Amino acid sequence: MDEAAPSGPDPVHDYFLAQTRRHFFSTTSMGLGLAALSSLVPERRPAAAAEEEIARIASHFAPKAKRAIYLFMAGAPCQMDLFDYKPGMDKYFDQDLPESIRNGQRLTTMTSGQSRFPIAPSKFSFSQHGRNGAWISELLPYHARMVDDIAILRGLHTEAINHDPAITYICTGSQLPGRASLGSWLSYGLGALNSNLPSFVVMTPKWTGRKTAQALYNRLWGSGFLPSRHQGVSLRSSGDPVLFLSNPDGVNAQRRRMMLDHLSRMNQETLQRFGDPETQSRIDQYEMAFRMQSSVPDLTDISREPAHVLDMYGPEATTPGTFAASCLLARRMVERDVRFVQIFHRGWDQHGNIAGDLPNQAHDVDQPSWALIQDLKQRGLLDDTLVIWGGEFGRTIYCQGSLTRENYGRDHHPRCFSIWMAGGGIKPGIIHGATDEFSYNVTEDPVHIHELNATILHCLGIDHRRLSYKFQGLDVRLTGVEEVNPVHQILV
Amino acid sequence: MFTPLRSGTFMVLPALCFVAMAVTATGRASEGDSLQPIDFATEIRPILSDNCFACHGPDSSKRKAGLRMDERDSALARNEKSGVSAIVPGDTVQSELIVRITTTDSDDLMPPPESGKSLTKEQVALLTRWVEQGAQWDQHWSFKPITRPALPQTVEGDPDGTAANPIDLFVSRKLQTHGSSLNPSPRADRHDLMRRLTFDLTGLPPTLEEVEAFLSDNSPGAYEKVVDRLLRSEHYGEHMARFWLDAVRYGDTHGLHLDNYREIWPYRDWVIDAFNQNLPYDGFITSQLAGDLLPQPTTGQLVATGFNRCHVTTAEGGSIEEEVHVRNVVERVVATGTVFMGLTMDCTRCHDHKFDPLTMEDFYSMFAYFNNIDGNPMDGNIKDHKPVISVPTDYQQSRLSSLDQAIAAAESRLAEPWDRIDGLQTVWENSWKNDDNRLLLSEWYHLGPFADSRENQVRQKHGPEGGSTIDLTASWELEEGRSASWKSRPEWTDGEVHNGLPGDMASNFLYRMITVSNPSSPMPVSLGSDDGVKVYLNGEMILSRDVSRGAAAGQENIELPLKDGVNHLLIKIMNFGGDSGFYFSTAASTQVIPVEIQQLLAVGAGSRSGPDIKTVRDFYRSRIGTDPELVSLRTKLGELREERENVRRSVPTTLVWKERVEPRPAYILRRGEYDQKGREVGRRTPAALPPMKEDFPNDRLGFAMWLTMDEHPLTARVAVNRIWQQFFGTGIVKTSEDFGSQGEPPSHPDLLDWLAADFRDSGWDVKHLVKMIVMSGTYCQSSRVLPRHRQVDPGNRLLARGPRYRLDAEMLRDQALALSGLLVPTVGGPPVKPPQPDGLWFAVGYSGSNTVRFVADKEPGKTHRRSLYTFHKRTSPPPQMSTFDGPSREACVMRRERTNTPMQALLLMNDQQYVETAAGLARLALSGNRGSGESPARWMFRRCFLRDPSAAEMEILLSAYHSQLADFQSDIPAARQLVSVGIFAEADDGPDSPFHSAVLPELAAWTMVANLILNSDEILSKN
Repeated sequence: MDEAAPSGPDPVHDYFLAQTRRHFFSTTSMGLGLAALSSLVPERRPAAAAEEEIARIASHFAPKAKRAIYLFMAGAPCQMDLFDYKPGMDKYFDQDLPESIRNGQRLTTMTSGQSRFPIAPSKFSFSQHGRNGAWISELLPYHARMVDDIAILRGLHTEAINHDPAITYICTGSQLPGRASLGSWLSYGLGALNSNLPSFVVMTPKWTGRKTAQALYNRLWGSGFLPSRHQGVSLRSSGDPVLFLSNPDGVNAQRRRMMLDHLSRMNQETLQRFGDPETQSRIDQYEMAFRMQSSVPDLTDISREPAHVLDMYGPEATTPGTFAASCLLARRMVERDVRFVQIFHRGWDQHGNIAGDLPNQAHDVDQPSWALIQDLKQRGLLDDTLVIWGGEFGRTIYCQGSLTRENYGRDHHPRCFSIWMAGGGIKPGIIHGATDEFSYNVTEDPVHIHELNATILHCLGIDHRRLSYKFQGLDVRLTGVEEVNPVHQILV
Repeated sequence: MFTPLRSGTFMVLPALCFVAMAVTATGRASEGDSLQPIDFATEIRPILSDNCFACHGPDSSKRKAGLRMDERDSALARNEKSGVSAIVPGDTVQSELIVRITTTDSDDLMPPPESGKSLTKEQVALLTRWVEQGAQWDQHWSFKPITRPALPQTVEGDPDGTAANPIDLFVSRKLQTHGSSLNPSPRADRHDLMRRLTFDLTGLPPTLEEVEAFLSDNSPGAYEKVVDRLLRSEHYGEHMARFWLDAVRYGDTHGLHLDNYREIWPYRDWVIDAFNQNLPYDGFITSQLAGDLLPQPTTGQLVATGFNRCHVTTAEGGSIEEEVHVRNVVERVVATGTVFMGLTMDCTRCHDHKFDPLTMEDFYSMFAYFNNIDGNPMDGNIKDHKPVISVPTDYQQSRLSSLDQAIAAAESRLAEPWDRIDGLQTVWENSWKNDDNRLLLSEWYHLGPFADSRENQVRQKHGPEGGSTIDLTASWELEEGRSASWKSRPEWTDGEVHNGLPGDMASNFLYRMITVSNPSSPMPVSLGSDDGVKVYLNGEMILSRDVSRGAAAGQENIELPLKDGVNHLLIKIMNFGGDSGFYFSTAASTQVIPVEIQQLLAVGAGSRSGPDIKTVRDFYRSRIGTDPELVSLRTKLGELREERENVRRSVPTTLVWKERVEPRPAYILRRGEYDQKGREVGRRTPAALPPMKEDFPNDRLGFAMWLTMDEHPLTARVAVNRIWQQFFGTGIVKTSEDFGSQGEPPSHPDLLDWLAADFRDSGWDVKHLVKMIVMSGTYCQSSRVLPRHRQVDPGNRLLARGPRYRLDAEMLRDQALALSGLLVPTVGGPPVKPPQPDGLWFAVGYSGSNTVRFVADKEPGKTHRRSLYTFHKRTSPPPQMSTFDGPSREACVMRRERTNTPMQALLLMNDQQYVETAAGLARLALSGNRGSGESPARWMFRRCFLRDPSAAEMEILLSAYHSQLADFQSDIPAARQLVSVGIFAEADDGPDSPFHSAVLPELAAWTMVANLILNSDEILSKN
């Protein structure tokens, strides 16, 4: 397929890219050693510089997935309005949640002051789909069509009850800032597959539900204590897609290449003078920067995507900065072997006005998520690409604010929420876990967020217990200190 | 029972411990040597802390089997149920600890397998030998009193002990005894040293002249002379302040929700000044924690209390005041713990500390010192969130008082009896009353701002829009609990542009009444607006314009179809960003007479009361009278008032602390939640630390005195470690933010204690400490990395070589500005906005925020200032800072990461300002400034690298130049584009200029060479 074979839009740049490689041959012959040698390897092989890294990168066991895409629903989607069908709730309308269900659980300060906890049944209708007969909300008609492709997990749970700690927890394994994010662990543990693009890319598309959405924080894709080259790189939808990517006016690729050739020689002199490995690393970073100057524009240029593909992602696929456009770019990235792509879609914090905001949110993501799975499948990429969809916690069955049959709000709920996974290593067409009739407590197959992360690492060939980093005297793991296991029931 | 041992143990241990520590500092050459005494503080306690304290530690609620492994008494006590003791000193068989860590029975094994913890073989061996040796106990190292260790007497390679600097004695001893075969490196090349020193003391590179003067000074005191000169530089304070601002999380916005502008930069300037004046560190602490409680505090001491106002704040709708209050106080307690004591106080907010001897009661007792501010916890989204003070400069102060005098004089002249003018007033009053066709305009009334998007401002109705009448007493609810109501604005005279309507993306309303009798024709009006405008007359819209522009006369010329009697004119000024204003004039010459004056005029002079007589007279004299003397006086008064207003407006305010009269009670908050009040607690310092002296006041002032009393074990250690870190890149305690059990023990414990004792005993003299560090041989070593360095000590913790690492974000940018000659080195003042890529603020900002849109400053006096002054929006920090590990300033950061990424390469190569500095450097190289006739390449190299280039380096630069030149010669437009960057876009390069168009390719080629130099590793690093 044409669009699968990356070719730069700027032939001059391509020409000089080729020169870069020659340049490396020449410096290597002058005795640069292994560090530079590793930059010689063709694309789609690890380009990591240091020897110990190459050793570490060996997977613990044969991976099912080589890359992953995480569709992160920031703010926490209402599980009982989307995936966790609770028909029995109708008869409880406006009745208080039984104390036996809440069981003394702490509540956020947004509803802890409420005198009542009246139940708000979902106003949306559900129907059964797929071979397993999964119940899917009317808000997700495209999801309904791909039930056989995905595994739905209804038993996720966490401890945090507010966004900042909760989203930091699921993304970095700790509620407190300072730890490495999932993507940076993957980059650290597995290395890069493509030496022209970052191994971890983040997008933060627009949303149409709740206007004042929770903020995002750089730490969600930060590298924490890991070397910062493992941190996620933001791909922007306006201006330079990556900050400061473009050369200044008057400097074309050829002039930049000439400057870099001489810069590299100058830095060789410095390397001789001080012997500091950081100098070699700086040389590598400048070459990576140059490669990104052609590989990023090539990545974001969707002009050669065929109409039937664009149609699949829906009308917003060609509008930069939408979730649909981000999904399309995610596919283009995994096609180029970017290791991990994370899309943070905001606006899911439905404390009120579910009738107005939730359909908009669901509409933003429904068709593009489906299209992404279909697109990957059609290209044979789904087999070795893991896709995860979900937020940081769930929402309460009881209402926050005023309750009517037609409109209501829901507070944060850590004890259960629903996500789905698909692709490399995941059994398609299954439902895992169940909750009580109030969608309040997990009754079957609970999955802690640490177990979710352990499962993600497992699919990528990593034993989560063995992926650790010494930090402040501790061997820190993404999955925390307690013993957890991957969810083997959902693995192929 | 072993309890009687306790007191004796504590008395004996400090001496024992020193021996042990000294040995530890020597490293452990032969790990298996069972005679080697084991150091509890650095070898055993970390193991116990990491593996045992979670269940057998300070946290009483989580404690299992009643056993504490953080206290000797408990560990040695016999368990009543089992009859065994965790530790029996000298007896590993009877010690349950050893039994349980060596058992193969997984039910008994400690730590339990399900904890995920396990001990290594080495750790088990270490614990066993420790018990064998008698299980010597000790406090956590950082809680022990600071005693000044004896200096090591001799040093290898310096048998006579002539290496006078104590730092070198400690560092050499550690190197000698470490057994790593590393030796100190030779002294660095003098130009490298000069650059390292100048950067470390001022954050700026030295000039070539300074380096050459140093190189040619062969006197023994040459280096020290330079140190002393740099310590006197005002840039020293800027550089030292920069690290402090990370620690206290200084920012120019509130940090949460709207993230609006906050004015607190005078605090930043106070910090700079404090370092420059070498304010002793105890005074530095006291002013910041309690300047307001000092007797007759100076303005500076009040400004310093901004320390406790630097935390993020909110005014988010729906926030609960009490909750925000608690969050603010928690911020202060945690910051005070981290910044001054290296304690992770935050852990004790919800439970007793798991690793350190800190309790929840300690936390909330400290809370009680910081909960008594006289102000609303919610910031109101305003820049001057109370309590604040005005901080006029000396000039502003004296100008204000002379203006006050001049205004008072003019006002009294205007109010004096003045018969001639009174006669003219009577004539005017009579003519006004007898005019049947008079057109009466009321003064303007103003309402707003109504913040909204451009689209909504144009499409939707706000405030009074759509009504047929105007109610001047009505008010409107705005967001964030604010409201808007009509305000009379008599100073808005017609025929002038009035800028300064409030709000950024917001609409404002103007209203006035126009009274006419039987108008014969519509009234022509000239209007101007910034930006869009809608005009309603008597409820009918007669104009709507959606444009972006600045206000000026005649932008809209319309006719008002007035009806007989009172007409209502309502104007909506819609602003789409930046300033907002309007212009209004009528073609007819009319007098604007406020409604209440009209009523008084109608009454007639004879029947007015005394105050009314004065009202009408004041009005006549200040608005109407045309007598030349009166007009001149009036004009002068107007000018004086305007100037006073301008001066007042320019006087900065700053957030400070002011104590409430009635202390607020403090409670233990269960789970740290604001509404879960437990027992009330009073003010008390943490119990595990030495108590406050009896005669100290039990308030913030006493707290500050407690922090800085000689017995305090943490304050001096934390301070010297942080300053050490500024020079070596890593602290003696690597975890400079955590001196607790989970922090890393010091690499050179005796050196740390010596420096801390010396710092304290010197009277907390910061410059003394800094000078001792930079005068040390350790600091002056070459930073060349040899293969054995890389193998044995890649992180340079043994200090066998000098520091070498990438410069911090601010130093990188400041260096580029300095080398290009563009740096504006002014010290202090309001934050500035150098350019950044579009859209960064907008991507995260709320539409109603006054920092939602970034507008770069234009004047070089602002854009080319040191990076310390760059406006710091906390939800979107400047990328020039964050790309190079500059923190977001949302939380205290005691040390930055130091990374090396392609994003950094892209920024340094392509950011407009870095390209501008390259162009500036190239211009300097080509202009007459360089004198001496040396080639531009050589001149540029020497200016930046501060040394002579090697032949190879010259060849690289010339080759770079020639290849670029050839390319630009065939593409003159590209050359022009490149060199016209930033301020050079408007450079006036006529035929006489050295940069006339014929040299464009040369200039562009040199610009690329300069870009190369400014991206080279040696320039980006401290060498």
